[in-house]
Amino acid sequence: MTAIPDRRRTELVLLLFVALIIGAGGVLVCLGMGISVLQAARPLAVVGAFIAAAMMLDLADPRRDRWLLPIFALLSGIGFLLLWQLDPRLASRQLIWMLTGSGLMVAAYYLIEDVRDLARLKYTSGLAALILVGLTLVFGVEHGGARLWLDVGGLLSFQPSELVKVLMCIFLAGYVAERWDLLREDTRRVAGFQMPKLRHIAPLLLMVIFSLAIFVGQRDLGAAVLFFGLFVAMTYLATGRKAYALIAFVLFAGGAFAAYSFFPHVATRIDMWLNPWGEPLGRGYQILQGLFALAEGGLMGTGFATAGGATIPAASTDLIFAVAAQQMGLFGATAILLLFALAAHRSFSIAWRATDRFGALLASALAIVFSLQALVIVGGVIKLIPLTGITLPFVSYGGTSVIVNFIALALLMAVARDCTPHLRGGELS
Amino acid sequence: MNELGRNIKRVAMIPAVGFAAMCLLLGWWQVIRGPELRAHPNNSRAQERLNNIQPGAIFDSEGEAILEVEEGPDGWQATYPAGEATSHLTGYNNRSGLQWGLRSARLGIGKHESPWAEFIEGPLQGNDIHLTVDAEAQRLATRLMRREAGAVVALDARTGAILAMVSAPTYDPALVLQSEWDFQMFQEDPGKPEYNRALQGLYPPGSVMKIFTAAMTLDLQRVERETTFDCTGSYEIDGAKVTCPRAHGEVTLDEALQVSCNTTFARLGRYFTADELADYLQRFRLLERAAVPMPSSTGTIGEFTDANRQVLLAETAFGQGRTLVTPLAIARATLAIANSGMALEPFLVKSIASPSGRVIAAGRRNEVGRAVSEETARIVAGMMVNVVEEGTGGVASIRRLKVAGKTGSAENPHGQAHSWFTAFAPADNPQVVVTAVVENAGAGAETAGPIVREVMALLLSRSGAG
Repeated sequence: MTAIPDRRRTELVLLLFVALIIGAGGVLVCLGMGISVLQAARPLAVVGAFIAAAMMLDLADPRRDRWLLPIFALLSGIGFLLLWQLDPRLASRQLIWMLTGSGLMVAAYYLIEDVRDLARLKYTSGLAALILVGLTLVFGVEHGGARLWLDVGGLLSFQPSELVKVLMCIFLAGYVAERWDLLREDTRRVAGFQMPKLRHIAPLLLMVIFSLAIFVGQRDLGAAVLFFGLFVAMTYLATGRKAYALIAFVLFAGGAFAAYSFFPHVATRIDMWLNPWGEPLGRGYQILQGLFALAEGGLMGTGFATAGGATIPAASTDLIFAVAAQQMGLFGATAILLLFALAAHRSFSIAWRATDRFGALLASALAIVFSLQALVIVGGVIKLIPLTGITLPFVSYGGTSVIVNFIALALLMAVARDCTPHLRGGELS
Repeated sequence: MNELGRNIKRVAMIPAVGFAAMCLLLGWWQVIRGPELRAHPNNSRAQERLNNIQPGAIFDSEGEAILEVEEGPDGWQATYPAGEATSHLTGYNNRSGLQWGLRSARLGIGKHESPWAEFIEGPLQGNDIHLTVDAEAQRLATRLMRREAGAVVALDARTGAILAMVSAPTYDPALVLQSEWDFQMFQEDPGKPEYNRALQGLYPPGSVMKIFTAAMTLDLQRVERETTFDCTGSYEIDGAKVTCPRAHGEVTLDEALQVSCNTTFARLGRYFTADELADYLQRFRLLERAAVPMPSSTGTIGEFTDANRQVLLAETAFGQGRTLVTPLAIARATLAIANSGMALEPFLVKSIASPSGRVIAAGRRNEVGRAVSEETARIVAGMMVNVVEEGTGGVASIRRLKVAGKTGSAENPHGQAHSWFTAFAPADNPQVVVTAVVENAGAGAETAGPIVREVMALLLSRSGAG
């Protein structure tokens, strides 16, 4: 057995450092909640899941990214500490999801022999995504005004849009990789623009309509923005033409305006966003409580285990970032944003180092979904855009969300493994 | 492949820029807008936090506490050591008086929040307030106004600091909230003790207005101190009749002020236009609200029309008409004469001090513009000295001291005339301005004059100038 290569040691050191931070945080939360300090083992178990996963992944194939796991371990740990104070029962469930998710991540990493094979599953994925959304539209269960959940066997409620996310990434990456030349060269002039022929772009257009359908049918603005952003970014990656992105945004703005005019629930969201002060106890309540939480946090935060989450609606899911900003202050909240920025950077760097077109596109798509999701929900909390119901990856509570994010992570690492031949010593150079 | 790599790098810029923008906006809400949001009335968590902060105490200019805070069974409780003498300043609960007006300063929130507050351990404490008023003068004025209704305002003639502000009838703030019944009696009291007459009471100025009419016509150089007028005891204008108790005969402007000759001042109404009048009212700030953190009223002079213009100018000139002003406004205008024609805005808060004693904010002399020229102010001050030494204001004279003053009897629809007196002293080096109005007390000098004299004597002796 040779010495552990440098980067492997770096990852381990980083993970142990994360364990130290989360362990210390856990002790603080225990002291704050007045329970035994030994309970700090729970948040440590979250980090432990990552460490165990890292070791098992290395048994399969050590040529993978060394930064993503520590970043997401820290985010998951922080998320758990916040959930724990808000609702210990919810936190226990989240812990189970985390353990299951990390196990599935390892399993997926083992099972996917070559990530490039997934390209063949693109239509299957696309179809599966459509069926899932269709099922939700028909059989969906409403939670908090949005029909986003499917009840499975009356026991588990399952949020298909999370899974659709990954399926869409596979579909788009596969489709664009296959039609790469056709999308770029088989064009015709339409109204002064070089447009790809309809039969090449039709499946993509279908997806735009599909995302707007989610928007209207499910009252799920967040998912709509996410899929739409993903679609625009993929089009840009394929063609390198900003004009398409511009056209898409004009269409989106038009669609959004139409929705504002015709659908009262959309109008409510927009009005509430523009002027929450008008109805501080009514429609503006949620966004104002989020802002008050931010203000309460100030620069340094109020500290772990200080009250406040109780007044925030959906504190454990949509508004978890507000709770984080309150307890950890501007410093802590900025650190969380930096972690997401770092994760995005690592994912994109896997993408642009990939020698395989499908691999590069898949990694890009996953990176876009991750960062867009964080931006949309944080942007909603800080009143940059209307607040939407969407999870903050790895931080918010949500079973489907956690599992799917781990699978996405497995895919990212598989791309790094299979599509980047110039890996050295277990690290991307 | 290279092209795809380039496109990926470009797309990767978007989240990078996005996250940077998020950090900036986050700082905007958490730090820059933070204090404002923490103090927002709809912020329930703020209420919880505020309940833990010990509100600051309120002190008079000599450091005597007029409001103290102690921990009671239902949270922080205010006590009022100076009782009824300062009730209109302290208020009787946290929604009245300065307890409401200086709420954020006393709790150390909003713009008064210390940037270091969150680093300080232990129970949070608000800021202490130091007022410019002298509790001793408050007590004296309150005693003098007992059984009367009206107000007394005393200002520092050099800075505009409010040295005393008393409204009568007053009340004991500790008794108001003793029971539901007490509170109901307090609110339904026909004497309206809750009402702060010094700032909110609107009274016709009566003859004290003549000071400002004289100052204005002198400043416009339409008349001189020695210009003579003939008083036959009555003066008619556009069918309205202005009378004096007796015919004063041929009088100079100086003498007209001394004897408070109505017909002469009514005649002065012809010497200026309505616009000039409005200009000087503004310069003397006779109609403006007071710049203190408590409710105050705006004065009025009524509506000028083509039909009533000459009559209303004449009536306004001698102090009747439709003019209504607050006692503080008369004190403030008198202060402008005392301060060589330069108008000062009175202030009530001397300083706001953090728990560690650091001064966070301080009230200071605030010149708000020239009312009249120095020369005019000097002449009018001289005329006001004559009012006290030889004219109607004799009752306000203080031994070995030159007092400049003016009486007033404001006719009003509620019975006997209101008694006014406004004065400053020493005339050649003014230190204090005192104004008093006593409701329905009859002729000027008899009731309000002695009150002004007593308060003035006390304030001068306390400042070491008497």
